Amino acid sequence: MSESEPQTGHEAGDELEGRSFTGQSVRRFEDRRILTGEAEYIHDVTPPGCLEMAIVRSVHAHANIVDVDTSAAEDHPDCELVLTIEDLQESYNPQPCGLEGYEEWSLADGKARFVGEPIAVVVAADRYLAEDMADLVNVEYETLDPVVDGMDARESDTLVHEDAGTNVADNERIAFGDPDGAFADADHVVEGTYEWGRVSGVPLETAGVVAQYDEDGDSFHIDCNIQLHTLVDDTVYETLGRPADRVELNVPADVGGSFGTKIAIHRYCNLAAMAAEQLGRPVKFVEDRIENLQGGDMHCSERTYEMRLACDDDGTMRGLDVWFVDDFGAWPHYPVNQVLKPLSVLTNSYAIDDVVYEYDLVLTNKTAQTAYRGFGVDPHQYALEMLVDDAARELDIDPTEFRRRNLVTPDQLPYRIPSGNIYDSGDYPGAMDRMDEILDENERCEGGLLDPETVEQRREEGFYRGTQTAVLIEPGVSGSDWTDRQRTDDETIQNRSREDVAELPEHLRAEVKPDGTVLAWLATDSSGQGHQTLVAQLLADELGLLPSDIEVDYLDSVEAPTEYGSAASRMAVMLSGASVGVGRQLRDALAELAADHWGVDREAVSYRDGRVERSGTDDSLSLAELAELDDEARTHVSYDYEHPATGFPEFDDALTHKYPVYPTAAYAVNAPIVEVDVETGEVEVLKFYTLRDCGTMLNPMIVEGQAHGGIAQGLGAALMEEFGYDQGSGQPQAITMFDYLLPSTKNMPDIEMEHTSHPSPFTETGAKGVGEGGMIDAPAAIACSINDALEPLGVTADKLPFTAHRARKRLREAEE
Amino acid sequence: MSIEDTPHAEGRPTREISVTVNGEEVTREVEPRLKLSDFLRNECDLRGVRVGCEHGVCGACTVSLDGDTVKSCLLYAVQAEDLAVETVEGLAEDGQLHPIQEAFHEEHALQCGFCTSGFVMATKSLLEENPDPERDEIKEGLADNICRCTGYQNIYRAVDRAADKLSDDIEAVRTGADGEEGA
Repeated sequence: MSESEPQTGHEAGDELEGRSFTGQSVRRFEDRRILTGEAEYIHDVTPPGCLEMAIVRSVHAHANIVDVDTSAAEDHPDCELVLTIEDLQESYNPQPCGLEGYEEWSLADGKARFVGEPIAVVVAADRYLAEDMADLVNVEYETLDPVVDGMDARESDTLVHEDAGTNVADNERIAFGDPDGAFADADHVVEGTYEWGRVSGVPLETAGVVAQYDEDGDSFHIDCNIQLHTLVDDTVYETLGRPADRVELNVPADVGGSFGTKIAIHRYCNLAAMAAEQLGRPVKFVEDRIENLQGGDMHCSERTYEMRLACDDDGTMRGLDVWFVDDFGAWPHYPVNQVLKPLSVLTNSYAIDDVVYEYDLVLTNKTAQTAYRGFGVDPHQYALEMLVDDAARELDIDPTEFRRRNLVTPDQLPYRIPSGNIYDSGDYPGAMDRMDEILDENERCEGGLLDPETVEQRREEGFYRGTQTAVLIEPGVSGSDWTDRQRTDDETIQNRSREDVAELPEHLRAEVKPDGTVLAWLATDSSGQGHQTLVAQLLADELGLLPSDIEVDYLDSVEAPTEYGSAASRMAVMLSGASVGVGRQLRDALAELAADHWGVDREAVSYRDGRVERSGTDDSLSLAELAELDDEARTHVSYDYEHPATGFPEFDDALTHKYPVYPTAAYAVNAPIVEVDVETGEVEVLKFYTLRDCGTMLNPMIVEGQAHGGIAQGLGAALMEEFGYDQGSGQPQAITMFDYLLPSTKNMPDIEMEHTSHPSPFTETGAKGVGEGGMIDAPAAIACSINDALEPLGVTADKLPFTAHRARKRLREAEE
Repeated sequence: MSIEDTPHAEGRPTREISVTVNGEEVTREVEPRLKLSDFLRNECDLRGVRVGCEHGVCGACTVSLDGDTVKSCLLYAVQAEDLAVETVEGLAEDGQLHPIQEAFHEEHALQCGFCTSGFVMATKSLLEENPDPERDEIKEGLADNICRCTGYQNIYRAVDRAADKLSDDIEAVRTGADGEEGA
């Protein structure tokens, strides 16, 4: 396999003789405006008369706030407004939290719980002045001991929230099958402890808000780059104390990346909106990078796993016991269910019937977690694969062979895992075999990176090479009903029936414009995934038009129905289903309109390639002519595509019991070739081979782009990225990009990618979700490849990121 | 908002500067502390200059200053006085994308697009110095810019493609229809 050739792309206006656009690499509509600098991101939105906001933030991890002296700022002629907690409590509500019983105000209420927590806001004519004013606010603190370590937090006398009485905000233990029996019967029980560092998406564009208040309607218009604006708008309108239809959240067509992280920027939306209401003028806030890294509510999972695997002498995996602590920081924000999503791929690609899954969700004096690509699955896959490696070595079986023996086989698919989710389609052993072939042909040969002679020679020079393959599953297309599991009591869950399940569909609208082109409306937001292009190419096929005949726009939170939106590897599947539905609606509507116009039966007309024809005649009407005839908006249609799992009774059990349902299982077999310099501890990935299957590829160019990006983020999490904290003071140690290291061109190897295609039986087009791939599968793959490289020295990558410092520490320990 | 509308506190210093931006002279009264990136965005309305970190790591604000590639968040506007700034807005001509922009589009070298202006400007500088770079040279040349979406794979390809386009352009000029040697 050589580096894949550049895509044979098509422009949106190209004719494809006799072929459909679905499955083609149609180049993106979004690009031109971005490339020329014309795209309007939230940072570019500045209405006339707009003021700017700056935030006074806590300098301590844990401290009582004795006094907030705002007098110097308020007396200054450049200061337009100062808001403190008292102002908020007078007029507004606390923010909805991810768990019941936590009252979180948009500003610290009497106690600061993390460095960077907002204490006051100031507004001035521009950001420079606003920061001057922020400097004039004087906060008096009484410092408290911080809770910094997630494991210690469980037993600590120091409480982040005294009212809660504990730092363990949520815990659940779920047993599937008979794990006790499996562990008692098995020949071996292998244990391991694995740590996943605090990382996050760190999109290049920080959060931004422009809030405007309309006194006449007592309503808000808030432009912002929040993710899932139609789902999480409650975190804004409830806080502002207004009904949903008076708080309009509008997300620009272009958002500079999110990866899940911008789901939780509601604090900024709320503060800017409050300031706008108080002042009667637009207020803008742009988070700066230090605010973002230090206290932007945007870190993600930080987990310690203690895992056990029960297996027999012959290498059969019998039982799995998963226990972990996840350090959520100071507040349990919405993505608390990140601790549950791993249930959707509980046993990864292995057939294991008896499993126990338990977690402690703990609170500490750190910035709160938000979602990040993978939503808690990436650490699970990492820990599980580490355990599999450890077990293979303990059993003295080749790690690849050990995996192969336990893989779910093609004839078992669709395969129900113990937690009720179902893997749809694929060939896992075949993928392992193909990757073996690829490595044999390209690298385990003379002159290859894994040429045994070269590996031996490099080892003598102190550079240890290795690679390890595994089949890693990416759960795709989350349903929504399970996401409030932690706010639902056990009895309710026990007593639910299938009728109680409430799933959110995907909404899509389309209308014919006077010139005969089609305008479609998305009810979701986008941050680089190419949704406009995707919908245009899908609808082009449905309507027999060119993608360039279709324009795609966005609905705000009031116009759009409440729905899920862009997250959880959902959009390709949901939008393709919705496009098929809306295309059908529009064809029918146009045919009926034409039939009525001609005064004939519906059966006497047919829609074809952008026209309605009257059979047996030469009469036909174009879209433009039909639009002109349409005086009742009959050419405006909308469609709600039901979540695919709801149509298959196989999922009923998981849906009913609020276990995470992800009906598609894309998967990857990776072979990153790593080299560890044992003298410095530095790990280099020399090349990254990946074989991927996401069923039907709707736009291969976009699919590959998603995988490339996910792999890069996975490499960062495996080797470089970490929000460290000083264990004594709770001070964050990565508050600039000099400390929080993102992979650059210097760190990213060439990626060699190949695809297979096992279409999903559960989705309209056979597509599977791919948005979180790479991030889900690269860290585990890199860690296990390090295990392979360092196997002669008995060192494993049991703590990520496996930085040079950590590698050296482990190597020193191994030498002693 | 323009600086004229800004209410000034007593004694805040300002200075008048003239900067040539994408070929046009811009004269403004600015505070010495105004960053060049903010000057370009807010005073010149060039929003293709993106601000990602404001401490010189991410490269989203990369522009050309008198032919040097610089991160405009690390300079003050007053430092650009009497100099020529070129931003991504200056590349397309008469609605026609520059070959580098075309190549980025054709190779899907952008997703969210926030880093793209910086990468396009860095690529322009790289190819001016080295019209036919090897993969390692591309990696070296773009190491000052961060992308969080693409994993860089398609950016490498876009640079290759842009290099081909530009060398074709030069070749076309050199062997122009009238056979005259071009520059």
